[in-house]
Amino acid sequence: MKYLRTFLAMFKGRKLATIGLIWFCIVAVAAIAAPLLAPFDPLEIDPVARLSEPGTPYLFGTDHFGRDSFSRAIYGARMAVIIGLGSVIVALVTGGLIGMISAYFTRLGHVLMRGVDVLMAFPALLLALVLMTLLERSVTNTIIVIGIVYATTTARILFGMTLKLKGEVFVDAAICSGAGHGSILFRHILPNLISPLLVQASFIFAFAQLQAAALDFLGLGLPPEVPSWGNMLSEERIYVTRAPWLLIFPGALIILSVFSMNLVGDAMRDSIDPRFKDDIAGV
Amino acid sequence: MALLDVTDLEIAVAAGGKLLPVVRGVSFAIEENETLGIVGESGCGKSLTSLAIMGLLEGSQVRITGGSIQFDGRELTTLSAEDRRAIMGDQMAMIFQEPMTSLNPVYRIGDQIVETLRQHRDMTKGQARDRAIELLDLVRIPEPTRRVDSFPHQMSGGQRQRVMIAMALACDPKLLIADEPTTALDVTVQKEVLDLMADLQTRTGTAIVLISHDLGVIAETCDKVAVMYRGKIAEAATTRELFSNMSHPYTRGLLNSIPVVDHDVEWLEAIPGRVPTIDEVLPGCAFHPRCPLAEDRCNAEDPAPRDVANGHAVRCHFAGGAA
Amino acid sequence: MTKTPILQVKDLHTHFQTGGGLFAEKTWLKAVNGISFDIHEGEVLSLVGESGCGKSTVGRTLTHLEPSTSGKALFNGTDILPMTGAEFRPLRRDIQMIFQDPFASLNPRLTIEQTLAEPLFIHGLAASKTDARAQIAETMELVGMDPKVMARYPHEFSGGQRQRIGIARVMILKPKLVIADEAVSALDVSIQAQVLNLIKKLQRDSGVSMLFISHDLGVVRHISDRVAVMFQGQIVETGDKQQIFEAPAHEYTKKLLSSIPRITERVA
Repeated sequence: MKYLRTFLAMFKGRKLATIGLIWFCIVAVAAIAAPLLAPFDPLEIDPVARLSEPGTPYLFGTDHFGRDSFSRAIYGARMAVIIGLGSVIVALVTGGLIGMISAYFTRLGHVLMRGVDVLMAFPALLLALVLMTLLERSVTNTIIVIGIVYATTTARILFGMTLKLKGEVFVDAAICSGAGHGSILFRHILPNLISPLLVQASFIFAFAQLQAAALDFLGLGLPPEVPSWGNMLSEERIYVTRAPWLLIFPGALIILSVFSMNLVGDAMRDSIDPRFKDDIAGV
Repeated sequence: MALLDVTDLEIAVAAGGKLLPVVRGVSFAIEENETLGIVGESGCGKSLTSLAIMGLLEGSQVRITGGSIQFDGRELTTLSAEDRRAIMGDQMAMIFQEPMTSLNPVYRIGDQIVETLRQHRDMTKGQARDRAIELLDLVRIPEPTRRVDSFPHQMSGGQRQRVMIAMALACDPKLLIADEPTTALDVTVQKEVLDLMADLQTRTGTAIVLISHDLGVIAETCDKVAVMYRGKIAEAATTRELFSNMSHPYTRGLLNSIPVVDHDVEWLEAIPGRVPTIDEVLPGCAFHPRCPLAEDRCNAEDPAPRDVANGHAVRCHFAGGAA
Repeated sequence: MTKTPILQVKDLHTHFQTGGGLFAEKTWLKAVNGISFDIHEGEVLSLVGESGCGKSTVGRTLTHLEPSTSGKALFNGTDILPMTGAEFRPLRRDIQMIFQDPFASLNPRLTIEQTLAEPLFIHGLAASKTDARAQIAETMELVGMDPKVMARYPHEFSGGQRQRIGIARVMILKPKLVIADEAVSALDVSIQAQVLNLIKKLQRDSGVSMLFISHDLGVVRHISDRVAVMFQGQIVETGDKQQIFEAPAHEYTKKLLSSIPRITERVA
């Protein structure tokens, strides 16, 4: 409860960020309750009603197979949250560990961080494309690839912050108490990184949506049958003149979600430890 | 009329929708050629008082809520920002504690002095540069013609503080406010800087307000002392009078707290308790929770300043004998 | 004091690389440049000097926070400098350090109880949480704090209280040697006196040996038995407190003593 209150306090007086947070909650509810909210099976084909306009019973219309766009959008929200959370976990765990360990064990760090530098030399999308061409299209692989892409920036950021914390007197004090490496890293340093990590998570969540949509659009992301906003765009792009709503709805959803999470991230960043403010400049 | 006349100054900090008083009814005056020391512990309001005089509180959470600051016959609290800029750096100047952060690291020190000069004086670049070299020589920077082109990081802490003094003195100010000017310096350097300030005062007649937590520094350099506690002047007198006739229990406690170098003391007579935080509301005398003399009335009634000798005012119910 | 000293430092050097590398020649800052001193059991030796003289580096080297360059530091006859981190860890119980900044030296995310319990569990000195809590309560009373506040976080305490907690973290291990690095410098005068009295009392009662590092000669006179004066990485003069303060031999010591602003001069 205490944490929830501090979290909500960050949004006080920030209208846009609050709207962003509300939108995120709507997406989250849609994701969790998708089977209850979707009026149709997202894969069910109604050949008679192909490319029907938005209205009843198809709120967002139907696609060229005659599948209900509204239901697919709701299941797409579920995919968006899965991809977002999955990438965040992969990026924070791998990137976080690499960054923290590199800063703590300087010699090993020199090697690890040079590897990170090499990966960071590629533009994010290009790196994701290269990795995806090596792997099969699947939800797990998409998560892993997007996670790795943002693990590099996370590693960089955590490297800098851990380096700062390592020089703190309380870390020296813990060493003098006899604390071992594991205890220093995970008991003394990590808890002080939680709030910047949460901020980082919100940005990764936002950018993962963009990356996933781009991969889907290029036919390298999720398998085509999976209802995701990116796939909806990708499959229906040739009908842009005949049935523009098929692109407008998923496109708007992607933009809204990315924008919302960025606003949430901004609000969180502004209320964290000023020491780390400069480190997190976005992903 | 004194050069600087502060009367019933009130300063408050805005926190959580409330105004917390941090400086409460502070009055003092300083004449030309005089040094006033303001001494106290962290949070006593000494630095805020100096910032208020310099008009550096604007735009922060802190604001002046009452009283007046008269400088050379002009009221500073109601002065427009433009008029204030004309005075600042010209007729009054300030030296801060941290000489590293108060100099801009990307400009040569000479250029920083030149800028101050040209802001207030009608000078050519060449004239200003000559004056800058002269000033560096005045504050005893060796090889001033060469060091005028140094960057701040190329100088030691003591030298940087001397550059700050040179900059402050650039326009021959009538008033110099020094906020803990030697706290970040080593004792040997501190002595040099304090000697320099005293020397410059005899030459220029500048009035100095010296803010410090160090009674020793105050005793050695000031003509008059004001001891502040929790936003109020607990005791004020000439330096000689104050140290020979300490009348406020806080001043005495402060003196007894200092471990001295010249003789051994088995146990220091520490003031019990802690320095109150600004959001604590203390009825009566602010010092009574820590005071060895405290009685019931100290909890109820805030003592008004009373004179125990000529020009020696003390805010204590027990000052000057009878309560 | 005829027994062998608890700590013997012999020709200690700690140098830091300040420049150079692959192509340029390496340059070194000789922070500690060949110093030797002994600390006897139950004795307080002060290391006094100005900023940058290397006094803090001495303390940090002796606690393995900085690697030494050369020299010996015999703790009860064993050289602690060449030890690996793992070898030195058990000895950390005996050699403890009090830090200067009471705001930075406590982990803001741990309660006082967690902070004080950590060393107990690391060194296997507490059988259970209840046992640890009892020891913590006892130590908190020892440093003049109410054990009831142990569930709180550091930000809820004043500077003086935090420094007491820092001292409790050291004393809870019942160490043999305490290194105090500017332990009272960050405190207000009235609080500094309290903490200084506390350190002196704890030292007297426990008989712990102490290396007291400070720039403040008044503080040093108050707490020490013997004094070593450091200047530019070297000790220029060592002696009993009385001798250093009343009959300083070295020019630098004299200069230091004469630089201190005194209250008596103006008044008397």
